[in-house]
Amino acid sequence: MDSVLEVEGLRKNYGSLEALKGINFQVKPGEIFALIGPNGAGKTTALRIVATLLSATGGKVTFLGFDLKKEPEKFREKISYLPEEAGAYRNLKGIDYLKFMARFYADSDEKTREFVDRAKSIARLGNRINEKAGTYSKGMVRKLLLGRALMTRPDLAILDEPTSGLDVINALEVREIIKKFAAEGISVLLSSHNMLEIEFLSDRVALIDKGVILDSGTSKELKEKYQAGNLEEVFRSALR
Amino acid sequence: MKKFLNLLAKEIRELITLQLFISLLFTVFLFYFIGQMAKSEMKRAMRTQKIAVLDLDASTLSQQLTDSLNMARFHVEKLQGKSKEEAVEWTKASDINLLLVIPPGFGESLSALELKEMETYSFLRSFSLVGSRSSVILGSVISALNNYISDDFLKKKIPDFSPEKLKKPVRSKDFVIVKARMAEGSASSIAGFVSAQSVFLPIILMMIIIYSSQMVISAIAMEKQNKTLETLLTVPISRTSIVTTKMLASAVVGLVSAVIYMFGFRYYMGGFMGDVRQAVDSAGLGRVIQELGLAPTANSYLILGISLFLAILCALAMATILGVLAEDYRSAQSLIMPLIFLVMIPYFLSFFSDIKNLSLPVKLFVYAIPFSHPFLTTQNLLLENYTAVFGGLLYMLVFFIALILIAARIFSTDRVLTMKLKFRRKKLLL
Repeated sequence: MDSVLEVEGLRKNYGSLEALKGINFQVKPGEIFALIGPNGAGKTTALRIVATLLSATGGKVTFLGFDLKKEPEKFREKISYLPEEAGAYRNLKGIDYLKFMARFYADSDEKTREFVDRAKSIARLGNRINEKAGTYSKGMVRKLLLGRALMTRPDLAILDEPTSGLDVINALEVREIIKKFAAEGISVLLSSHNMLEIEFLSDRVALIDKGVILDSGTSKELKEKYQAGNLEEVFRSALR
Repeated sequence: MKKFLNLLAKEIRELITLQLFISLLFTVFLFYFIGQMAKSEMKRAMRTQKIAVLDLDASTLSQQLTDSLNMARFHVEKLQGKSKEEAVEWTKASDINLLLVIPPGFGESLSALELKEMETYSFLRSFSLVGSRSSVILGSVISALNNYISDDFLKKKIPDFSPEKLKKPVRSKDFVIVKARMAEGSASSIAGFVSAQSVFLPIILMMIIIYSSQMVISAIAMEKQNKTLETLLTVPISRTSIVTTKMLASAVVGLVSAVIYMFGFRYYMGGFMGDVRQAVDSAGLGRVIQELGLAPTANSYLILGISLFLAILCALAMATILGVLAEDYRSAQSLIMPLIFLVMIPYFLSFFSDIKNLSLPVKLFVYAIPFSHPFLTTQNLLLENYTAVFGGLLYMLVFFIALILIAARIFSTDRVLTMKLKFRRKKLLL
C-alpha cells in the first residue's frame, strides 16, 4: 500500500471565509507527516476534517480505502485524535479516564487492560494516575491524553500541536514517544507552528498558509530546494 | 450496547458530585427545618389562647359569654376594677393579644333584644396568620353567642316553633355533577380538595425539569469548557448515543434528586397543611369524591406518570440543543432561562386561572408549550376528557421526537462545534 491516508482537493468554508482552498496530501504507513504554518493557516481545520469532527465543503478524504464522507464510523475505529487544547474529565481519576476511553476500542476486559497499561507507560504519571485529572498540571494532562491517543495503536494518530503548552523536558519526552510509536508502524499526521520540532519529528512536511499548501517534501528536500538552513527559512522563502 | 453503557456510566459519574450531594442535603435539611418550625408554630396556635376580659356588666349573660370563651379553649384573664383605658394599657404590657370589653347594661339590652356592641382590641405583635388567629376564633364565639341568644328568645316567644326554621326558612341541598355521576356535596369544597391533591404536581414537574435541564446544559457546556467534547466526538460511538446518554443520565440524576427534594418538601408542606387526609375524612368529602369518580386510580397515575416523563424528555431535548449554544459553564446558566420561562407560564396559569377559559391565541400558545400538558392531565383525567389527555401525550411524543432528531442532527454535523462561534459573533454584534 502506497499511502494510508489520501486527501484530494480538500476545501472548507466557514460562511464566506475559505479556510481550505483545495489541499492535497498523502500519509504513508508508519510515516510522520506534518502540516506546518502560522496560526490561522488551516492546519487545525484540515486535521479536524480527517478526524471526522468537521465536514468538508469539497474534496475527498480516503483512509485505508474508506471514504470519510460515507463511512466516518470506520474512520473513528482506526484513528485517534489529540486536539490542540484538549482536556480530561476533571472529576475522573487519570486511570478511570483511560479505562473509559479504552472501552470504546476494546472488545474484552483483557484488551481494555492492555490498552490502559500501554497508556500508563506512555503517560508516565506514576501514582498520580490514581488522582483526579482536575489536580493535574497542563503537562500531566497532555501526557495523559497522548497516552490515550496512542494506547490503541491506531492506524493513524492525528496530533494537533502535540507539545503545545509543555515545558522543554515534557516536550522532549512527548517527541520521543511519538517517534517511538511511528517506528513501530503507526502513521502520524501532526500539525505545529514549531518548525524546529517538525524538523526533528517528521518524515515529510507540507507548508500551509491561508488554506493553500505552498510546498511539500522531506525537510532535507525542502532545505535544498530553498537553499535554507532550517525549516523556518524554508517557510519564509516559500511565502515569497 | 457496551459502549453506550460505558458512556452512560461516565455521564452519571460526572453528574454525581460532592456539590450535588451537599446542595441536596442542605435543601432537604432546610425544608425539614422550616416544616418543623411551621408545625410547632401551628401547634402553638392551636393551644389554649389567652384573652383578657373586662366585664363592666357582670350579668348572667356576660358570665355565659365568659364561659363560652372557656369552652372555645380560651384562657380567660378577668380584669377587675379597671377602666377601659387601664385595661388596654394592662393588656398591652402583658403577652395577651386580645382584649374583650363587655359594656355596662350588656345583659339587659340583649334580653330586651336591643343592639349592644362589645369592644374587642387585637394587639398585632406580628403579621403572621397565627398572630391573628385568636380574633377569628373570638368572632366565631360571638356568632355562636348571637345564635344562642336569638334561639333562646325565639323559643320563649314562640315555643311551638323551631328557631332554626324561623331563622333559615329557605335552605339548599347541594349536588355536584361530574360527567354522568352525581353526588350530594359542595362544589367549592370538592374543587378545593382536588386542587389541594394536585398542588404537588406542578411543583414536582418544575423541580425535575429545571434540575435535569440544568444538568444536561451544564454537562454539554462543561465538555466544551474542559475541551473534552472534541475527543469524545472522535471515538467510535454514534452521535445519537452521545446525545441520548447525556439526556438519560440527566433524567436519572434529575429524577433521583427530585425524589430526595420532594422528601424534604413533604416535611415542609406537612408543617403548613397538616394531615390533609384527616381533614377530608372529618368533612365527609371522601365519600363524595368516590361517588363522583374523582379518586385517582392506578391507571390515572400511570397516565400521569407517562405525561410527566414525556414532559421531562421534551425539556431534556430542548436543553441539549441549548447546551450546544453554551460556550462554557457560565453561559450555560443563562441559557436555561428560556426553558424556565416555558415551564413557568403553564405553572402559574394552572395556579391562577383555568387554561380552557383563556382566549384562543393565548390558549393555542399555552397548548404549544409541551409542559402545559402534564398540568392539564390531572384535571382531564378526573373529568374523563381522554381525547385531551391522549392528544397531549401524542403532542409531547411528536415534539420530543422532532427535538431529538434536531439534537442528533446538530451533534452529527459541524454545528456542535461551530454554533458556539455564531452565537459569539452575534453577541459581539450586539
